[in-house]
Amino acid sequence: MQAVELSGVTKTFGSVTAVDDLSLAVPAGSVYGFIGPNGSGKTTTMRMIVNIFYPDSGTVRLFGERRLGARAEWIGYLPEERGLYQKMAVRPLLEFYGELRSGRKVTEEVDRWLERLGLKDWASRKVEALSKGMSQKVQFIAAVVPRPKLLILDEPFTGLDPVSADALRDAILQLRRDGVTVILSTHDMHVAESMCDYILMIYRGRKVLDGTLASIQDQYGNDTIRVEAEGGLASVEHLAGLEQVRDLGQWQELRMTRGCDPQQVLRELVARTRVTSFSVVKPSLHDIFVRIAGPAAEEVHVA
Amino acid sequence: MRRTLLIAKRDYLATVRTRAFVVGLIVAPMLFGGGFLGVALMRAKPDLRLRRIAIVDHTAAAAGAIIQAAREKSDRGAIDRAGGGQIAPRYELESVAADPKDDDALRLALSDRVRRLELDAFVEIGPGVLRPGATAAERRVTYYTNAGGIDQLRSWLSGPVSDGIRMARLAQLGIDPARLQELTAGVPLEGMSLVARDEKTGEIGQARKRSELEGFIVPYSLVLLMAMMVMLGASPMLGSVTLDKTQRVAEMLLGAATPMELMAGKVLAAVGVSLTSSAFYVVGGLFVLQGLGLAGTLAPGIIVWFYVYLLADMVMLCSLAAALGALCSTPQDAQHLAMLVIAPVVLPLFVLVAVMSQPNSILSTALSLFPLFTPLLMLVRQALPAGVPGWQPWVGLAGVLVTAPAIVWVAARLFRIGIMFQGKLPKGADILRWAIRG
Repeated sequence: MQAVELSGVTKTFGSVTAVDDLSLAVPAGSVYGFIGPNGSGKTTTMRMIVNIFYPDSGTVRLFGERRLGARAEWIGYLPEERGLYQKMAVRPLLEFYGELRSGRKVTEEVDRWLERLGLKDWASRKVEALSKGMSQKVQFIAAVVPRPKLLILDEPFTGLDPVSADALRDAILQLRRDGVTVILSTHDMHVAESMCDYILMIYRGRKVLDGTLASIQDQYGNDTIRVEAEGGLASVEHLAGLEQVRDLGQWQELRMTRGCDPQQVLRELVARTRVTSFSVVKPSLHDIFVRIAGPAAEEVHVA
Repeated sequence: MRRTLLIAKRDYLATVRTRAFVVGLIVAPMLFGGGFLGVALMRAKPDLRLRRIAIVDHTAAAAGAIIQAAREKSDRGAIDRAGGGQIAPRYELESVAADPKDDDALRLALSDRVRRLELDAFVEIGPGVLRPGATAAERRVTYYTNAGGIDQLRSWLSGPVSDGIRMARLAQLGIDPARLQELTAGVPLEGMSLVARDEKTGEIGQARKRSELEGFIVPYSLVLLMAMMVMLGASPMLGSVTLDKTQRVAEMLLGAATPMELMAGKVLAAVGVSLTSSAFYVVGGLFVLQGLGLAGTLAPGIIVWFYVYLLADMVMLCSLAAALGALCSTPQDAQHLAMLVIAPVVLPLFVLVAVMSQPNSILSTALSLFPLFTPLLMLVRQALPAGVPGWQPWVGLAGVLVTAPAIVWVAARLFRIGIMFQGKLPKGADILRWAIRG
């Protein structure tokens, strides 16, 4: 069962094509991550799923149904920007948003989530008194109190300290265990790698990656060497068979050219310096992202 | 509908629970009707200080008559005949002998007395005032004061000075002034209402004296109240929608409600706020009229029409304001567009007095049948004692009922597109295209 299905969806704003012939399928009960550079079309796609924007062409199906223009009480939505009435107190605000979405009183859920995310003592305070991280948590609660079966989170971890981010991550994963389908966008590749069952990368409005992390990495093969050696970057520069060297401080990532033998690289390296760690790995999601959207990006191949 | 009502409830409570709303209930009428209020306050608390005026009479024959005329007028106006209390200042005139050798020194001395507040003003009667054929310079009557441009004393004094000089002239000719006054007395027209047959008893009722309130202030106040309600509802709506948009609250709401539900909720809240405020003023106004014994001057039907027009006007202009607010990305944009929202209220106010003076002229009728102006101009014509032909309010209302949904429909289209639109204020052509194509 697909929770969300987009088929050939295109959305333009004037002369700008924000989303171009995008198709995707989000399996029910999964965590589906949107990645991509700023302005690539992630938020526009999410807004089309929530029905805030209507596609110019193509179809959007939620749990098999087309619901153009309608609002569903089983969708929870956390926009990228913080949209809270500053003058309202936290609890009435959450009750308002919750009731607006679900059509029922949500007092108990509000209390439960406030407790869970450590905001119980702030329930009577006005939103304007909250920190950015607290506001983000309040907005997250607003998205989940209606007990959605589809939760759409646009950059949910922005502005959160590590403790709050962990709390939010735990909450999202618990929701997934409870059967909620989660679509989230993020610029944090570690979040995408660790949390998402499926990852979709949009670049310039078009889909360039779609699948599990493993399947995406398989497309690139084991073309990366992770090295720790005395001398750091200087010791690995100008080795034969390398396409790119990326200095990560404590270690370096070396991308091999097609057909390059890693054993040959190792031999050459050992001849130069003392190697403490050498492993051939699949490229990280970060590396793949940069390969596609970085300054030296290769020709984009639509997935 | 549930979501619309929930949004309306939140916005309504967010408005009426603020201190600004309560203060606004009191301050708004002062802003809109400040002139009337000021006059009313001045009338309620007049300055009763004794006014002293010196008369320098170069004829040596006019001052006595002027002082006599002033004393009579002062006695007539200063005391309330019914209550016996003083309601206006008394005026005391003193005669100062002219000094033909040194007029300037006398004027300086009297000016200094005015400056020392011993006098309020002094008047100089020219030597030729009583003499036929005298030159214009000799017939001059001059008034000296340091009062401001709007000088009530001067207005008050002109009557006794004219009367006194007239009497002195008649006395010179040997004519009895009292007899002449009787023969040449003006004949005022007393305004009366029309008479009607009592539907219950069948008897012809008595005409009643028509007051200034009935003919002007009540209709004018009604229209002013409606204008105030619409402006206080529609104008903030524009800024409020822009604020929701810029603070990203709109996106949060649109995740749960459709644009139409969101706009309808906001319009409904504004209508609710306006009904709450207007109820406060209408009930207060009815009590005032009751207290003044003028309860019958405002027909209950007019109140009903007032609310019908108010609702229609609010829906039209608040929808328009919401749509325009949705097109704005900054408060400055909203300020630029505010005039479009208040124009349908302000423009009728410009022609209001003209319409009231000729309520059944072709222009008044045509303007009041223009749907955007109907709520204000038809209402004022209906509230005037002459009324309007029976078909006109219904035709006007029909126009409003056709126009209001059309505006709401267009506004909803613009709102849906505009509320998520970011960047520069769209151009007129874009707005037109969105309105037509959606």
